[in-house]
Amino acid sequence: MNVQWKFALLKPAQRRYLLFLALVAPAFLLRFATAAYPILQTIYLGFTNLDLIKNTNAFIGLRNYLAMANDYGVRGALSFTVTLVVSSTVLDLVLGMLVALLLNTTFRGTGFARTINLIPWAIPTIVAGYAFRWLLEDQFGLIPYWINLISGARVAVFISPILARVVVVLVHVWKDAGFMAFVFLAGLQGIPPELYDAARVDGANAWQRFWRITLPLVMPLAITMGLFRLVWSLGSFDLVYGLTQGGPGVATSVLALQIFREGIMFFKFGFASAISVVLLILVAIIGVVGLWLFRKAEVTY
Amino acid sequence: MVKSEVARAWGFKGSAIVVYLSFLVFTLIVLLPVYWMVRSSLAPAADLIKVPLVYFPRPTLRNFQTLVEQVPFLQYVRNSLAYAVATTLTTLVVSYLAAYAFARIPFPHSGLLMWTLVLSMALPDVGTIVPLYRVLKNLHLLDTIAGITLVLSSTLTPFTVWVLVSFIKQVPYEIEEAAIIDGASLPRVLWHILLPVTMPGLVTMGLINFINAWNNLLYPLSFTTSPSSKTLSVAITEIFAGYSPWGKPWELIMTVGVTMTIPVVILVLFSQRAIVRGLIAGAIK
Repeated sequence: MNVQWKFALLKPAQRRYLLFLALVAPAFLLRFATAAYPILQTIYLGFTNLDLIKNTNAFIGLRNYLAMANDYGVRGALSFTVTLVVSSTVLDLVLGMLVALLLNTTFRGTGFARTINLIPWAIPTIVAGYAFRWLLEDQFGLIPYWINLISGARVAVFISPILARVVVVLVHVWKDAGFMAFVFLAGLQGIPPELYDAARVDGANAWQRFWRITLPLVMPLAITMGLFRLVWSLGSFDLVYGLTQGGPGVATSVLALQIFREGIMFFKFGFASAISVVLLILVAIIGVVGLWLFRKAEVTY
Repeated sequence: MVKSEVARAWGFKGSAIVVYLSFLVFTLIVLLPVYWMVRSSLAPAADLIKVPLVYFPRPTLRNFQTLVEQVPFLQYVRNSLAYAVATTLTTLVVSYLAAYAFARIPFPHSGLLMWTLVLSMALPDVGTIVPLYRVLKNLHLLDTIAGITLVLSSTLTPFTVWVLVSFIKQVPYEIEEAAIIDGASLPRVLWHILLPVTMPGLVTMGLINFINAWNNLLYPLSFTTSPSSKTLSVAITEIFAGYSPWGKPWELIMTVGVTMTIPVVILVLFSQRAIVRGLIAGAIK
């Protein structure tokens, strides 16, 4: 009995199920092999001292986690990761909104501004990292040179921990605010103008119109985008890798960079996996808080 | 004439100075790094270390020539292209099939299945990099384009499915139904009926995935070791790690940077509308 024949004997519902499974199978197989299974592996490896260089591989319970608590690099990376993603996301949302309002004006030049707005987002992150590193280089970088021309002061961005941190946050914002603005602009253009007209008739001033109409209507969009931005930037390391390599010291290191270093450069698989678990927990916490915020925002309108 | 909520919100009555000034500052902030990058890639190395700075060096393509001569630059370009194209196609095919099933075929808990897939998007790529290294090693896919294509396709699939589902749902089912009644097989329906109408969605997601793959650093940096599979993003980090007699070879770093940037910026500038349409259809609705 050939396959087609067997298929014809099945009930319609069964055939539908088979068809469904066949269609989603490639996506799920791909995802299982390179996401679900590795996650479980990561959690398991976090409890081992698997190390390809020292050639160890034993179950050591929570010892990686205890080691992490005393690890200068991981502690620094954890605190800067949180600082970086939170501050850059907030700045992104605020500046993105301002830029969107600006791009929503109609006059000569808007077209040009809208066109160039997405350029920072399109530039590969690693390239943006190096471009800013070069722009800020202490000897021949354009910006320190200008600062020197104006004030006579010499700034060495990549030697000062605080300056380096500020720069990483700002470059992150430079890279992503345009995309945020792009999405907000679409949101703004979806607001019916009649709402503003009605509010104006009722005597609402511009400030009130922004707070009572624009902001509430764009809010669900802002929370969704903010949430995506938070979660995505938690795991990103390209920018730091290009801009500061985590330095000076570990001032601008992030968890993702630590995982890459310990795992891929030093082959300390167990320890790197334990850091990954911390990152996953961080993502889960932010995800849950974010979803809760999102539901609250939805209820309001 | 400035006409907008902003202008009014900020209390302008016809005066546009602040708006124009904001636009000027905005343009400067966006374009200054780009100008500096292009300037540095076209300058002879000696011009980068002159004080006062040379703002408009005599343009030369010497740096590209140096790259071609000293590193397997064209090979890296080919690898990047192969990686980006292969990832885009794999992701689209796999996602399109799954999206069709989710959009059209009733299945118990299909909603839950789809949300599992979509939520897996939140997993940070770097969090699974150690096991992935081992998986690729066992499959003998370390240091191959196929290996990095496989992992990145998996990463991009959930979002692509999500967006494509809403594109397919927008197509009235009656079109397919009529074809099915006429005796068309499923491949025919997918290929001849649904594909043409969902083309805008596929193009959008294709562009987004291509850009993602072209820009991707993590996977090639972690899983490739030889010039036969390294991409431009890896090449730029290696050139940065090198030294020339006068310090970092910034003219070469910026030349690779410009090479990586040109294709993506062109794609984005020409397809802004398509990208936003796709994103709004899928993600933000």
